Amino acid sequence: MNNRIIKWIDQRFPLSSFVKHDLTEYPTPRNLSYWWNFGFLAGFVLVLQVVTGIFLAMHYKADITLSFDSIQHIMRDVNYGWLLRFMHATGASAFFLVIYIHMARTLYYGSYRAPRELMWWTGQGLLLMLMATAFMGYLLPWGQMSFWGATVITNLFRATPFIGDQVVVWLRGDYGVGDATLTRFFSLHYLLPFLIIGGVMVHLVALHTVKSSNPSGIDLADKDNIPFHPYFTSKDFYGLGIFLIVYCIFVFFLPNSLMEPANNIPANPMQTPTHIVPEWYFLPFYAILRSVPNLVGGVVAMGLSVIVFSFMPYLDRSRIPGGARYRPWYRVTFCLFVVDMLVLGYVGYVPPTDLSIVLGKIATFFYFALFVLLPFISKKEEQWLIRRGLPAEVQALVASEAKEKIKSPHQRRSGDIK
Amino acid sequence: MKKLIVILVLCCISFAAGAAESKLENIQVETNVQAVERGADALMNTCHSCHSLKYITYRELVKFGMDKKKVEDWRGDQPLDAALTSQLSDETAIQSYGKVPPDLSLMTKAREGGPNYVYSYLIGYYITPEGMTSNHVFPETKMPDMMGMSGATDPAQRAEIQAKARDIVSFLNWAADPHEEERHKLGYYVIGYLLVLTVLLFFVKNQIWSRLK
Repeated sequence: MNNRIIKWIDQRFPLSSFVKHDLTEYPTPRNLSYWWNFGFLAGFVLVLQVVTGIFLAMHYKADITLSFDSIQHIMRDVNYGWLLRFMHATGASAFFLVIYIHMARTLYYGSYRAPRELMWWTGQGLLLMLMATAFMGYLLPWGQMSFWGATVITNLFRATPFIGDQVVVWLRGDYGVGDATLTRFFSLHYLLPFLIIGGVMVHLVALHTVKSSNPSGIDLADKDNIPFHPYFTSKDFYGLGIFLIVYCIFVFFLPNSLMEPANNIPANPMQTPTHIVPEWYFLPFYAILRSVPNLVGGVVAMGLSVIVFSFMPYLDRSRIPGGARYRPWYRVTFCLFVVDMLVLGYVGYVPPTDLSIVLGKIATFFYFALFVLLPFISKKEEQWLIRRGLPAEVQALVASEAKEKIKSPHQRRSGDIK
Repeated sequence: MKKLIVILVLCCISFAAGAAESKLENIQVETNVQAVERGADALMNTCHSCHSLKYITYRELVKFGMDKKKVEDWRGDQPLDAALTSQLSDETAIQSYGKVPPDLSLMTKAREGGPNYVYSYLIGYYITPEGMTSNHVFPETKMPDMMGMSGATDPAQRAEIQAKARDIVSFLNWAADPHEEERHKLGYYVIGYLLVLTVLLFFVKNQIWSRLK
């Protein structure tokens, strides 16, 4: 019976071949570490955000006279409304945390290198959409920080040449952030996640064409690949359990730790908060914005600081496998970059003082300097490593994989391009 | 090495955050019905004539477990489902104080420092050498010293005012997040369940992976 149904479907839709190609026979390198769990986790958080968001939208009112009250209605009167809202608000932070770790893994292991450039670029597009969604969602509670955050950020578009003022009015739908802004942000906040889902599909199709990278940085022959299901489904679910524990600690016990107190005051266009701070996930970029004294320069620097990741496949000119693992100079560069990000985050968080402004300028300079110097660092490092020779186990692995490739050229491998 | 740096940076951040709040008194907020009811009582007598709590209704006070008779006294001839709005009209407030007193429903969540801030503010009144009343935590405040802290010199009297302020803060803390207790209770169950589930998933994963040579 079961078989007949599946056969019926298979004649009309490639169900079995899909399951085979993308799950039960999808070759995945067996040496993936837990750092490779975060793509799955990002997908999970995306679903979580969409589901909680849809339920929240049933009770939310996008109207400046009602939205603050409607959030309180959700928090107080709606059955488990507080849970939905805390899950959604905490979920935003969780999403960025997971994505940043996912990106850090890609950078560390050099997973952005050929043939995975398109994965990296679609990922970049997804990050930009995620940032836009988070930014627009933050306006919806219509608190003080919502209002002033949106005012500051939309104001940045004044830097557009010639038509800056018009662009700002066009974005806000009014001269200031107001009801027109709130309704359009709500509409787009609802739309963008579905575009993100589309982008994720492209990201996954690309992944299943080039296959997963792995910590060795060498495309592994068939014998070192195992089917995604059940090996990596079980591993991903175990990782999900750990993620959910951390997430639930925040949802149930520390939900307010991620919320700015000023956002519990209704938006007041007549009163600027003493200190406008974005959510933690925007802090490093906000610090870069503030570190450049001129508006246009700041906006360009901030935009560039996000876009610059896309150039990684070209900036990293080394052909040594394994990302940072077998590349000591690159490893140092990566660590310096992470530290620099944390310093920028700190600078973005504290109210500007003489010291923090200087620190921000140094860290901003350092941020871009690392990217600018990377082509030279990677090339020099490659020459140095070739002179010095790779560790014996890496050379053995490269040699055995090359041999395997000749022995069984017909087999599918991770990293194969047809 | 990387971990060390992360810890160092986090320490810097928490130190900076701690330094900003150091002048606030730290209090333990009470969540039991008696303390919250005492706080509500004090608030109705001291604060409610000017401040509203528009997200709280009298019915919710009864539902929380407060004495029904007391709630009847507070609400007077207002319906049970009425919100705790103040008797002071906005016009009169602006005439007397220059601004409308803020709604208190979310007060303990709306200030950096939370309950500690509100408590420190309430007991922060003092008499300046010029003979004016001022506040340590919020010098620009328009609110008069309703609890009489600035005039209290007797230690017993000051302790009494502090206890009253703590009760008020306990009530405000409940009002800002009435589901907090329910949230914590549910949280223990959810996390307990997830711990068991995760351990099982770990065994499942190991079991499956042990099939590999």
